Amino acid sequence: MPSYAPSAPASLALPRRHSSYFPVVFSVLFLLTFAGSYRLAQVQPLLLFDAEGRRNIWKFVAGMFPPDLSWSFLSLLGRPILETIQISIMGTVVAVAIGFPLGLLATSSLTFKGILNERELANSRPRVLLRKTSYLLARAALSLFRTIPEFIWAFMFVRAVGLGPFPGVLAIGIAYAGMLGKVYSEMLEHVNPGPLEALQATGASKLAIIVYGLMPQALPNVVSYTLYRWECAVRASAILGFVGAGGIGQQLEISMRMFDFSQVITLVAILFVMVAGVDALSARARRAILGRQRV
Amino acid sequence: MYQLNQVSKVFGGRTIAVDDLDLKVRRGEKLALIGPSGAGKTTLFRMLNLTIPPTSGTLLFDALNVSSLHGRRLREVRRRIGTVYQQHNLVPRLQVVHNVLSGRLGAWSIWRSVRSLIRPQEADLAYEALSQVGIPEKLYDRTETLSGGQQQRVAIARALVQNPEVILADEPVSSVDPALAAGIVKLLIELSETYRKTLIMNLHSVDLALAHFPRIIGLRDGKISFDLPAAEVTDEHLAVLYAGSQTEIGEEVPSLAELRPVRSCQPRLTT
Repeated sequence: MPSYAPSAPASLALPRRHSSYFPVVFSVLFLLTFAGSYRLAQVQPLLLFDAEGRRNIWKFVAGMFPPDLSWSFLSLLGRPILETIQISIMGTVVAVAIGFPLGLLATSSLTFKGILNERELANSRPRVLLRKTSYLLARAALSLFRTIPEFIWAFMFVRAVGLGPFPGVLAIGIAYAGMLGKVYSEMLEHVNPGPLEALQATGASKLAIIVYGLMPQALPNVVSYTLYRWECAVRASAILGFVGAGGIGQQLEISMRMFDFSQVITLVAILFVMVAGVDALSARARRAILGRQRV
Repeated sequence: MYQLNQVSKVFGGRTIAVDDLDLKVRRGEKLALIGPSGAGKTTLFRMLNLTIPPTSGTLLFDALNVSSLHGRRLREVRRRIGTVYQQHNLVPRLQVVHNVLSGRLGAWSIWRSVRSLIRPQEADLAYEALSQVGIPEKLYDRTETLSGGQQQRVAIARALVQNPEVILADEPVSSVDPALAAGIVKLLIELSETYRKTLIMNLHSVDLALAHFPRIIGLRDGKISFDLPAAEVTDEHLAVLYAGSQTEIGEEVPSLAELRPVRSCQPRLTT
């Protein structure tokens, strides 16, 4: 134990406060960015209120009423609505199928870091290199998948496989695989490592550790996030119709192009009900899972 | 069973956790490791159960040099060593039966392991192990609903099902009610006697160690301070072992636990 000399008035000398310019610099930069964006993005709120703008808005809103609820129009919608839901479900399934394995590879605590790899990778540079490479490749693939918006993916897949729901499924599958894989890997990395270490010490293989230690711990979050993504997929699959990838969006695009706003409002209302329904459904599923967890 | 020659473990290139340690453990022996926190006991255990490799020195398990093992052969050796941890290290959401049977993962194929999650394989084995530790009625309970002492019993049952040659128990009673601690230590000793296992235990409690173990090793600063039969351990030995460190034990542990939720910016993913 070091002894503290009582003679020196040590308590009076406050520890030096670390002052830095970073907060100031960042604040100034932020203000400049904001001002620049305001100009460059041509933000002109008054445009909404000038004579021309008001006239257009009025035309749009007035055209919406009364909503088109004629049977001849509604009977057209059954198939697109079903198609939208199916695209979202199949798209999410494809996204999980691609995203989950990539997510595992992109989990550093599984591939090359931490207690699960310390012994295995000790004094073996080639193995470390191999593991790191696969980790980086998985990360790169995932970020490529998600930086390209699903809309662009759909555009490309329509060119590749033709019009219809299938390019929509592929677009959601690929774009969402990127998001799911990234988030899965983060969830898996933050699982309590203690049980994993214990499983490893019993001689369990890595796959067994994933099944018995990792998944049971991460499952509530994984399921809940996947359901959330499914909700997003319903919204997205409604939009994908704009580039010819089937679903209710195709109908929406036709009605908009024909300035038939009374049909547009009907379609928007249907979309709203669909998203709200999916929302309620997944909230219920989530509660069931999380609730069971607390018992 | 174990032979350690000049084993050292250095973390991050400068923190020496275990320093040039020589140790021999015979098959069937029962020994307790005591020493102040930070003495390197847990690090030593992690080397003994082949979780982390020594930085230098050689570690022989059953006359087998384990330093070059990896993959399947490493797992086969790990199967022969059972570990009971301070924090139980069970999966809280799984049923007790699965946590117990996870001791069999080293022996099962992956398909069998997955099937077992749906329909427990060898459930009778799990039941038998739970009966040994005195809580057979908890077989299908969710593990997180059990008390700390019961969870530690589940962890011991997991080690029994694994049927290893050595049981390493790393502070198995530190997170258990002190009244139950002696019971769990006794249980481990009885079980390892019945099944002729080697037992190595880390203990915070000197009293428990001296009362139940024939051989005591004092560890301080990663070095062996003494290695004696329990009867020959004197107050002087203990005074040297714990010199200047008794006060830290009480202070360090809770403060770390308090800091953890503050420091982490991640949402808690495990509840």
